[in-house]
Amino acid sequence: MQGQVNSSGSMLSLRGVCKRFGDLEVLRGVDLEVKKGEVVCVLGPSGSGKSTLLRCVNLLEPPEEGDIHLEERSICRGPGSGTGEQSWELDFVRQRVGIVFQQFNLFPHKTALENVTLAQEKVLGRGAAEARKKGAELLERVGLGDKLGEYPERLSGGQQQRVAIARALAMDPHVMLFDEVTSALDPELVKEVLDVMRELAEEGMTMIVVTHEIGFAREVADRVVFMDEGVIIEEGPPAQVIDGPREERTKKFLGLVLAH
Amino acid sequence: MQEFINQFFDVGFMVDHFDEVLEGFWVTIQLSVLSGILALIWGLILATLRQLPGKGFLPVRVVTIAYIDVFRGIPLLLLIVLIAGGIPALEFLPESLRLPQWLGKPDNFWFGVLAITITYGAYMAEVYRSGIEAVPGGQMEAARSLGMSHGQAMRNVILPQAVRKVIAPLLNDFIALTKDTTLVSVIALSEVTLVASDIQSETFNSSALVLGALMFLAVTLPLARLVDKLISREQGRFTRGAPRVEAL
Repeated sequence: MQGQVNSSGSMLSLRGVCKRFGDLEVLRGVDLEVKKGEVVCVLGPSGSGKSTLLRCVNLLEPPEEGDIHLEERSICRGPGSGTGEQSWELDFVRQRVGIVFQQFNLFPHKTALENVTLAQEKVLGRGAAEARKKGAELLERVGLGDKLGEYPERLSGGQQQRVAIARALAMDPHVMLFDEVTSALDPELVKEVLDVMRELAEEGMTMIVVTHEIGFAREVADRVVFMDEGVIIEEGPPAQVIDGPREERTKKFLGLVLAH
Repeated sequence: MQEFINQFFDVGFMVDHFDEVLEGFWVTIQLSVLSGILALIWGLILATLRQLPGKGFLPVRVVTIAYIDVFRGIPLLLLIVLIAGGIPALEFLPESLRLPQWLGKPDNFWFGVLAITITYGAYMAEVYRSGIEAVPGGQMEAARSLGMSHGQAMRNVILPQAVRKVIAPLLNDFIALTKDTTLVSVIALSEVTLVASDIQSETFNSSALVLGALMFLAVTLPLARLVDKLISREQGRFTRGAPRVEAL
C-alpha cells in the first residue's frame, strides 16, 4: 500500500525460533524468510504453533531462543532479551508490524472511526483532524465509509474485522500479520474480509497470513508454509505445497481440510 | 402505644430539633462526599498499581496487595480512634498536619476523612480490580500491538471499560461509606448521630435519632434505586438489539 515493494530486500527473517509455555514446546526451531511485498500463508492443524509464530514476530510472546530480524535489525538478541517492557525492540517492532486477531478485539467503547484514530493520536502523535481523515479514508477503503459512527456491537463480525484491519493499517505498518481472521466469522461473511486482504496483497503489502482458507492461500499467497508440532514441515509456491505436497503430514492435513 | 410513638416518632419534637439535626447531617454529607471522592480516586490508584506488569514492579504489587488486605481486615472504628489519638501525639509533624484545620473544618473531621479514605480506598480498589479483570485480555493485546504503552492502554482502553462495568458496585460501596461516617462520632465530630444522640441524652426522647435515620434514607434510598437501574442497564447492554448505552 505504501509503495515500498522491493522484491530483493528481506523484510523478516526468523532463525531457530523456540517458544515454550511451561513444559509445552510450542515452537521448536522455526526458520522463515519473508521478502518485502511477499504474501506468506501459514497452514497447519490447530496447536501446530502458527498463531504463536505470529505472536513471536510482534513480540506479544517474545521467543526464548533464536533470533528474529525485522528489516535487517535483530529484534530479540538471544535468550531472555526482547522481553523487556522498555526495550527499544518493542517500539521498533510495533511501529512496523500490524496484527489482526481472530476475535477482532475492537475497542467496544469507541466508534469504528475512534477505533482507527485512537492509536494514531496516542502513539504516532497525529492531530485529531489528520487522524480522522486517515481513519475515514481507510474505513472507506474497506467498504465501511457509512459506518464511521457505529459502535462495534452494532456491526457484523465481517464488518468488525474490516474495522480491525483498517485500525492496523492506520499505523502505516510495513508488515501485516493475520491470525485466523476469518475463523470466528459466519461463512457468508468470510468473503468480504478475504476480499480486503486480497486487495491489500495486490497493492504490495508484506503479509503473513495464518489461515484455514486453502482457496485464499492458493490464489493469493506467493509462498505457502505448512507447520506441524512447532516446526515448518514443508514450504514452497502454493501449487507445489497445496496441490503436490511431498510430506506425509502435509498430505494428511490437506486431505482432511479439502475433504469437506 | 402512645408512649412508643412519643419516644420514637414525636413529630412536634422532630420539628423543634429539625435545624439542629439537619446541621449535623450536613456535616455527614460533607464527610461522605469528600471521603467518597477521595476513596474513589485512591482506590483507582491502588488498583492501577496492582496491575503494573513485569518483574520490576513486583515490589509495588506486593506492597499494594498487602495494603489492601490489611485495611480491609481491620475495623474502621479502630482506625478512626488510632488516627485521631495517634497523629496529634506525633511531635515531629508540623502543627498543620498534627491538628489540621483546613477549610475551616476541625481536626476530627479530617481524621475521619483520612480513616474512611484509607479503608474504603482498599475496598474500592478491589471493585476496580474486578472490573479490570472482566475486560478481555485481547483488549490489552490489541492496544499494545498498536504500539500503545501499558499506561496508555490502561488509560484509553482498559480503565474506561472497567469503570463502566463497576459503577453499580462502586455506588454500593459509597452507600456503605455514607453510613459508616457515623463512626466518626466516637472522636466527637458533631455529625448527625452525635447531635441526635446528645439530644436523646438530654431529653430522653429518641425521635431526633429517628429523624437522623430518615435523613439517611432520603439519601440512600434513591442511591439504591439508582444502583438497581444501573445494573439492569448494564445487563441490557449485552442483550441483542438493546439500545446502546451512551458514555458515562
